[in-house]
Amino acid sequence: MSTTTSLQWLVVPEEIAAEPSRDLVGGKAWSLWRMRSLGLRVPPAFVVTTEACKAYFADGHMPDGLDEELVAGIRFLEQKLGRTFGGSERPLLVSVRSGAAVSMPGMMDTILDLGCNDTVEAALAAESSDPEFAAEVHRRFTGFYGRLVLGCTEELDELPDTAAVRAAIAEDVDATVPADPWEQLRAAVAAVFESSRSRRALAYRKHYGIPDDLGTAVTIQAMVFGNLDDDSGTGVLFTRNPVDGTREPYGEYLAGGQGEDVVSGRITPEPLSYLAARWPSVHAELLEAAECLDREGRDAQDIEFTVQSGELFLLQSRPAKRTARAAVRIAVALVDEGVLEPEEALSRVTADQIRTLLRPEIAAGAADDAEVLASGVPASPGVATGPVVDTPEAAQATPGSILVRKSTSPDDVHGMIAAAAVITEQGGSTSHAAVVSRALDTPCVVGCGVGTVAALVGRTVTVDATTGRVYAGELPTSAADESEDDDLRRLTEWAERAAPLTVSTTAVLEPVFDADAAVDEVGGKLPDIPAGTRSVRGGIFCTLDGVRAAMDAGVEEIVTARRLPVLLAAVAHHRRIS
Amino acid sequence: MLDPYELTVHTLTLRQLGSAEDLRSINGLPVDDVEAALEKAVVEGTVMAARGNHMITPAGREFLDGVYPRTFAALRADAAVTAAMDAFETGVNKQILALTTDWQTIEIDGDRVPNDHGDPEYDSKIITKLARVHEKTYKVLRPLADADPLVDRFLDRIGDALVRAEGGETDYVSGVRVDSMHTVWFQMHEHILRLTGRERPE
Repeated sequence: MSTTTSLQWLVVPEEIAAEPSRDLVGGKAWSLWRMRSLGLRVPPAFVVTTEACKAYFADGHMPDGLDEELVAGIRFLEQKLGRTFGGSERPLLVSVRSGAAVSMPGMMDTILDLGCNDTVEAALAAESSDPEFAAEVHRRFTGFYGRLVLGCTEELDELPDTAAVRAAIAEDVDATVPADPWEQLRAAVAAVFESSRSRRALAYRKHYGIPDDLGTAVTIQAMVFGNLDDDSGTGVLFTRNPVDGTREPYGEYLAGGQGEDVVSGRITPEPLSYLAARWPSVHAELLEAAECLDREGRDAQDIEFTVQSGELFLLQSRPAKRTARAAVRIAVALVDEGVLEPEEALSRVTADQIRTLLRPEIAAGAADDAEVLASGVPASPGVATGPVVDTPEAAQATPGSILVRKSTSPDDVHGMIAAAAVITEQGGSTSHAAVVSRALDTPCVVGCGVGTVAALVGRTVTVDATTGRVYAGELPTSAADESEDDDLRRLTEWAERAAPLTVSTTAVLEPVFDADAAVDEVGGKLPDIPAGTRSVRGGIFCTLDGVRAAMDAGVEEIVTARRLPVLLAAVAHHRRIS
Repeated sequence: MLDPYELTVHTLTLRQLGSAEDLRSINGLPVDDVEAALEKAVVEGTVMAARGNHMITPAGREFLDGVYPRTFAALRADAAVTAAMDAFETGVNKQILALTTDWQTIEIDGDRVPNDHGDPEYDSKIITKLARVHEKTYKVLRPLADADPLVDRFLDRIGDALVRAEGGETDYVSGVRVDSMHTVWFQMHEHILRLTGRERPE
């Protein structure tokens, strides 16, 4: 676009060689520019700058000349893709998203499929030979627009079709979604600007002392479709295995699939090898891009991509979700690859993840002949053995007991904190017992059925909250040991060097404060650490809150059987305060 | 309306164990009023005190069981309140609990595992959804809030927790040791169940 330089309110990331200022274009557009500069193909985009947002609030209306520039920006996208905004043939749809230089919660979510109306739906149906898809695009866009631009607070996602969504919006806010794509676009841009001063955004900035005049940029990007023809599809790729962390690409491809299909299961996905067989050149380009993004991101990436008529587009790349096992493997591998320093690798693994890995399990085969006394929904994983009690007071009075209740309420929380495991008769995975147990990292089985309290109370049982079974008696357990695993041993060595205090299995320093003996952990509150304490022990000091409290009180040593989680929590707190 | 004495005893059904200051932060009374109420309650045997903390007694629960129907007769007879409670239980309450579970667990390759909060984008999506439901709850509970000022106070405290969660203080969604969104939500739920004389559905 030869007019790029004359634009006042817009930046086109792929048209500029020099790195754009994040303050001006926001983080999203900056990362698009970055991907382009790495030679990767992303759907074309342009960005309305934070300067335009400032002018919007200064003038009280859309800044002069922005309307014309929006037209110029859309013309650029049209020309890039050979499509027409609002067109009755080969229509162009866009996404509209907010983006500030620093993360600012409370701002508007992304609007997808903007530019849709009845004409465009018909054109999409004809082009993709998939009227159901075209109708779905229209329905979803109507919902996005209703909620984000018109301020409808009703749940629109579950409604069956566009007409139903329109009706719900009209009922709630007495407004309609405009048919004119240009009107849609202008209103969406204004709504993004407005969202930077939403109640939530203002509350957030007030709490954290962020200046209020910090505006937002608006990124407008062409939508690409994976279901246009036989040479199209969509997929996701992990640069490393998200389950065990192995350094090999792992992913799924849906031939003829679009966006949500990956999640919804409308089409059965194929492994990446399908793509390799069907489209070797696209597959090779994808793997090369994945390698580049993994190196550039200095971490395992989760990459969303679409193939439109044989052309690969990268939609998004971000640090991948992973299991605790994978997090450990990836952090250590990145040090071995020379990407991370050991100290930085420690920030990639949390204390909770290590606790998950070191969690005891019932020894292999030990449960085979054991009597199952109750079973229910596993709500918070782990294994615990102990005597069963049926009141929170008894749980507090009996260390290591298993609390069984019909269901739990805030009245029971102090007993749940004291209990080694929690069992309920009623409720599912979202019940109070489930949520609180997960927050406490206490094993929990819910929904074991009527009569469970009476059947269990007074007995000694073993709770396997990973499978949701309660066994009679005490079953042998096996726990992983951090010294038996190479990756964990190396992490421990690095953490020992980085931690500002010592973590030992037996106390070396005096005086020692024992929180379990102090039994002052009432109502879930942290105990007061006596002045002059050099060493602490007790269950509370294995939690993040406990580690923080000990460090803030100047304690030099924490005594615990499992050292690595406490070391990592100490390193993390040290990083945060220094 | 509950008087300061009744309200203070009632507050100990929302938080099992608490200091005058803990109770004040829930019920919004001046701390002097809470302290006076607690002194009276200990004398009357409705509350036990130990080391600055307080706990309701069985006699205290019986006392409240007598107070609620009298105080909230009009509220309980109000069809708009009943409709609001029905909508709360089947709608926003279920949504909040489901979202809290989504917050605590993530899906990796088909399995749900504990959320390590290593993906700010995932967390931020959940908080955005929570904030949307929270906003909607102001509307849903309007008939109750018009009759009882504590409802809005609970909702404002839930909003405060969400703000902190958005700032990366991840404990403030479902943490047990802080006034997290889930902690306050459950206090509010228990509060309105007691006002309306309904059982917790589960």
